[in-house]
Amino acid sequence: MVQLFRKVPELTFLICITVIAYAVIEIAAKSGTEPVLGSFSSIDLIIISFVFSTAIAIVAVIAGVGGGVIFTPIMLAFTSIDTLIIRSTGLVVAMFSGLVATGPFMRKGLADIKLVFFGAVPIIVGGLAGAFAAIFLATHLGETGDAWVRLTLGITLVLIALLFIFGGSNTEYPRPRKVDPLGQRLRLRNTYWEESLQERIRYRAINVAFGGFLFFFVGFTGGFFGLGGGWAVVPVLNLVMAIPLKVSAASSGVLLAMGNAAAIWPYLTVGALIGIVAAPWMLGQVIGGIIGAHILATIKAAFVRNLLIALLILTSLKLIARGLERLLKIEIPIL
Amino acid sequence: MPKFKRTLIPISGVVYGDVIYWATIVASVMVVVGTVETFLTDYHVIQPGYLLQAVLEGNSISEIWEGSALKEIPRGHWYLDILPSGEGVTTAGLALGVFGVIPAIFISAFFLWRSHNVFFAFLAVVAGIITITSMLGIIPLPVG
Repeated sequence: MVQLFRKVPELTFLICITVIAYAVIEIAAKSGTEPVLGSFSSIDLIIISFVFSTAIAIVAVIAGVGGGVIFTPIMLAFTSIDTLIIRSTGLVVAMFSGLVATGPFMRKGLADIKLVFFGAVPIIVGGLAGAFAAIFLATHLGETGDAWVRLTLGITLVLIALLFIFGGSNTEYPRPRKVDPLGQRLRLRNTYWEESLQERIRYRAINVAFGGFLFFFVGFTGGFFGLGGGWAVVPVLNLVMAIPLKVSAASSGVLLAMGNAAAIWPYLTVGALIGIVAAPWMLGQVIGGIIGAHILATIKAAFVRNLLIALLILTSLKLIARGLERLLKIEIPIL
Repeated sequence: MPKFKRTLIPISGVVYGDVIYWATIVASVMVVVGTVETFLTDYHVIQPGYLLQAVLEGNSISEIWEGSALKEIPRGHWYLDILPSGEGVTTAGLALGVFGVIPAIFISAFFLWRSHNVFFAFLAVVAGIITITSMLGIIPLPVG
């Protein structure tokens, strides 16, 4: 860790100014010192948010999922904050770790810019189509339809997690046996340096057209249900397109950050993104994102796989529970 | 020791990453400055204590902004109008971090085009145009 701080002086600088700033505010604040939640003042809540956000960012960057997957369900479950504010702050959480990690990922060759643009456009367009479809179908499908789709998605996630479990280390460095003509034509192939093995890993994408369709589907469901695409981008890249797990995780983070950067502007322009609420979450994501990006480069791919399996199962539990709650009109005490 | 560890890393990716990375770092500094200003000065559009209390109580966006000096929900790039204030600087910092994606996409598209990856340069331009339309408020994009 000390090495990381030496290697990345801007990280050290950011941590220093953030800690000093919060210390100064805690000591000399002219406002925000009165308790707003139990005995916690506004300033205490801001510092707690920052610490929590940093931890989320490290996990999210390593697994290649947006931090919103962790943030949004917790905030929706435990607070009465307006959903519009949770969604906009959730986008900040989903985005900034990916944005700041883009630099180290690209410099190390872990994220593939061609894969990023290949996935970004269908995800953004699919998200737009999903949002419009949601408005149209809400009147036709109602709550029951919504519950069925949540349940189906939850079960799909469990199946994807099982594929990662039983696929074993084959999923870490897939070796495709066939050649994909479209992938070859688009030159969707590259090499990266695997620090944990001390060797170069070559890869080439297969099932490219199907992968593109799946990206559209991921975007569509994200736009339709406001789920975000973090749960599905890594599986599409790794299991369908045969991209090594670390490259999939890194490219997924970069891709989601790009998609969310387009999605956050409408919130910003209607006053739904409140600066002082989002600020500690953003700072935590930036600092945690840089740390997470450097950890991902050096850890074993198996760790990434296990972390992803855990997150997929946790997300699926939430989806299945919400689906069953609406279908059976019961309350399941789960996040 | 490995004989060599160099791999071919495309310049289009490196410039994309670097533009976003440094934009995010600058944005973070702005957010820190804005936060300090919010709590240490008396110049507020909205009192931070009231604001967080209102947010935690589950007030809607309109209720929150009606209690501010603005008296109504701000529209467009409102934070630029209140830029000297802490809230203005903090929100402008967040906006700058998000904005960094746009030049990064177009610079990357240029390098993709130069390296004969015309299809990916085209995809990059499409992604850039969608992001700009979202920033200008032409089409709402509830993705994410």
